[in-house]
Amino acid sequence: MAYEFTKEDLEQIEKIKAKFPEVKPATLPVLWVAQNRFGHVEPEVQRLVAETLGLPEAHVHGVATFYTQYYKEKMGKYVLDVCTCLSCQLCGGYDILHHIEDKLGIKAGETTEDGMFSVQQVECLGACGYAPMLQVTNGKYVNHLTKEKVDNLIKALKEGKEPDYEQMEMPLRKV
Amino acid sequence: MPEVFIDGKRFEYEGEQRLLQFILDNGMEIPFFCYHPSMSAPANCRQCMVKIGQPKKDRETGEFELDENGERKIVWFPKLQTACNTMIADGMVVLTQETDELVERAQKDTLEFILANHPLDCPICDQAGECPLQIQTYKYGPEGSRFEVKKVHKPKRVQLGPRVILDAERCINCTRCVRFTDEISKSHQLTIMQRGDKNYPVTAPGREFDDAYSLNTVDICPVGALTSADFRFKARVWEMNQTPSIDISNGKGCNIDLWTRDNLILRITPRYNEAVNDHWMPDIGREAYKLFNENRVQRPAQKLDDEQINSSWNNAFETLAEKIESTDKKEILFIGSPHASVEENYSLMTLANLLGAKTPVFTTNIIEGYGDGFLLDDDQAPNTNGCRLLGLEEKDAKSLKKEVKSAKLIVLLNDNLIDREVLEAGDLNDKFVAVFATNRTETSKVANILIPVTTAAEHAASYVNVDKRIQRTFPAKETKYTDRRLDIEMSEGRLDRYGTSFDNWVTEDNKVDCIPFWNFVSQLGERLGLKIELRNGREILDEISNKIPAFSGVSYEEMDVQSGISLGGKKETVKS
Ligand code: SF4
Ligand code: FES
Repeated sequence: MAYEFTKEDLEQIEKIKAKFPEVKPATLPVLWVAQNRFGHVEPEVQRLVAETLGLPEAHVHGVATFYTQYYKEKMGKYVLDVCTCLSCQLCGGYDILHHIEDKLGIKAGETTEDGMFSVQQVECLGACGYAPMLQVTNGKYVNHLTKEKVDNLIKALKEGKEPDYEQMEMPLRKV
Repeated sequence: MPEVFIDGKRFEYEGEQRLLQFILDNGMEIPFFCYHPSMSAPANCRQCMVKIGQPKKDRETGEFELDENGERKIVWFPKLQTACNTMIADGMVVLTQETDELVERAQKDTLEFILANHPLDCPICDQAGECPLQIQTYKYGPEGSRFEVKKVHKPKRVQLGPRVILDAERCINCTRCVRFTDEISKSHQLTIMQRGDKNYPVTAPGREFDDAYSLNTVDICPVGALTSADFRFKARVWEMNQTPSIDISNGKGCNIDLWTRDNLILRITPRYNEAVNDHWMPDIGREAYKLFNENRVQRPAQKLDDEQINSSWNNAFETLAEKIESTDKKEILFIGSPHASVEENYSLMTLANLLGAKTPVFTTNIIEGYGDGFLLDDDQAPNTNGCRLLGLEEKDAKSLKKEVKSAKLIVLLNDNLIDREVLEAGDLNDKFVAVFATNRTETSKVANILIPVTTAAEHAASYVNVDKRIQRTFPAKETKYTDRRLDIEMSEGRLDRYGTSFDNWVTEDNKVDCIPFWNFVSQLGERLGLKIELRNGREILDEISNKIPAFSGVSYEEMDVQSGISLGGKKETVKS
């Protein structure tokens, strides 16, 4: 499939380019433009980015593979990054992961057949204080997970309702 | 003059200089991997750690502050620094692993980290024996490793391109290969993918690493991660001899090393020459090693009933001498060759002159548009300028054909005129053709008498490149009539030194039955009653430099000292 940027994308890319003295630093934000447009940056998309920016394909590939947030293959509409790093693990991160796996009928690293969900097992997302937690598609954090909370989340997502940002209470900063 | 103190010794320096390079240039050593003198210094291997300080100056007086012993007070950097990307500054004080325990410890621990996921498969690795990682671990590394967990596994035997194979587990991510394609060959074909302990160099998905200079990455890879698809597993480096030579596959005349074992050239690598090729050479030049081994003309042959039949050397001298004697000298055409050395072309000229025949002619072998402005030139022959400076007559294909038409006897010096479509086999019907050749080709097929001569790998001879720089080769490979042990110019490897003809690793067949062209000319001259004394390349070049002004002052000694001499052409430095 041939990928193409829309006119708006291209305008946005021009604006991004104008921010830097050279083209190279525009690689990261333009990869975002691409991922927002196509949902992923698989090799074909990386090539499109390279061509659009006039940069070597190898360079764009290197940047895209360096960051886990860029999806190098097609992913589900919602990507659930379940943290199983130390704090989450101690607070039941694996139970949450396995619960999600059972519920969706896929293993970590896979995507459901209807293309709705991908599940990934990830390292620390810097939210140890509210473990166990997961992240929805590079964005919102869902914290203090329980199986019920997960069930509700999946139900809501299926209905197209994204979770709200949660304000968390910190010891020194009361909400 | 600004000064710098390294391990307590004072050095003076000039201009901008990298600390690591300065230390190396002054005969000292620091272990390093990612630094390369011809490329940028990203300092990513962290191996070249040293301790650096600057003397303290009184802000008001500008004088150095002294301690109670009258020594300068030094302000040390709070942490160790990498020497490769530190520029020397006046008064800088540097402590290396030789004098500082912390530095020694840091280097050792860095190596332990670098080796954490390295497979340590030296016994089956091509790089072993010429591996910076192996050498520096031996010298500066830890004895063992504290990492007891399983090593990270990565792809092996990845065909990055037609000529380069990657073993990602061996890679230490120095990025030399990536920087080479970015900064030197400018193909930008490589990148490092992933991060942390998963990273290794790759091309963009679906792309090949087919850079015309790709094999240079194999040379500069400080480990065995990149290997040559052609050379890998052919020989251990310590079994080979390394002989300096010149690339004869292109007019650029890259400086190279020929690697031989058992009198076969097994690989060609570039040899540093700032004025010609820096550290690099094109891939295609490396393939030329086959010319030295394969398809060689062995023993003279004479055409009888349309078939070339091997003959004796005596027969070759006799037959050609008789032909020359019985032919009107005006009807002899001597054809020189831009593919042959200065000495060979000069020998041909000498013979022609003494016989009273016309000056030898030659045709260039230039493919317009072939060059890339870097190390590949349009000129396909190593010695076009040599022929010109010697005073051979330059002919284009058309006028050469005409000359051939009016000749009865043609003496052709090593140039595949038929293969490169300057002449057609039909042009040579009913002429007597004597061909001096190194390899069997379409051209050698037409010879009435075919005489094998030595290649650039078997004699010492000089070539003048496209920039009019004269450079010379050394004999690397024995012929049936030479002996490593008697020729002081030939290098001897372990196998050569200790092997006798009866050892099973010595293959007599690898020595080609051929002689240098000038030897043939001398002996032929003797038979013809001419006074020709051409004994070896060195003496011939001395004679040339005495007789031909363009070559004045040129000698093997001078060429060796200066790695080639510019004969008035523009002087070019490779800087990308
Ligand atoms: S393959 Fe070799 S040259 Fe390239 S990054 Fe790895 S170690 Fe360095
Ligand atoms: S050589 Fe200095 S950090 Fe690699």
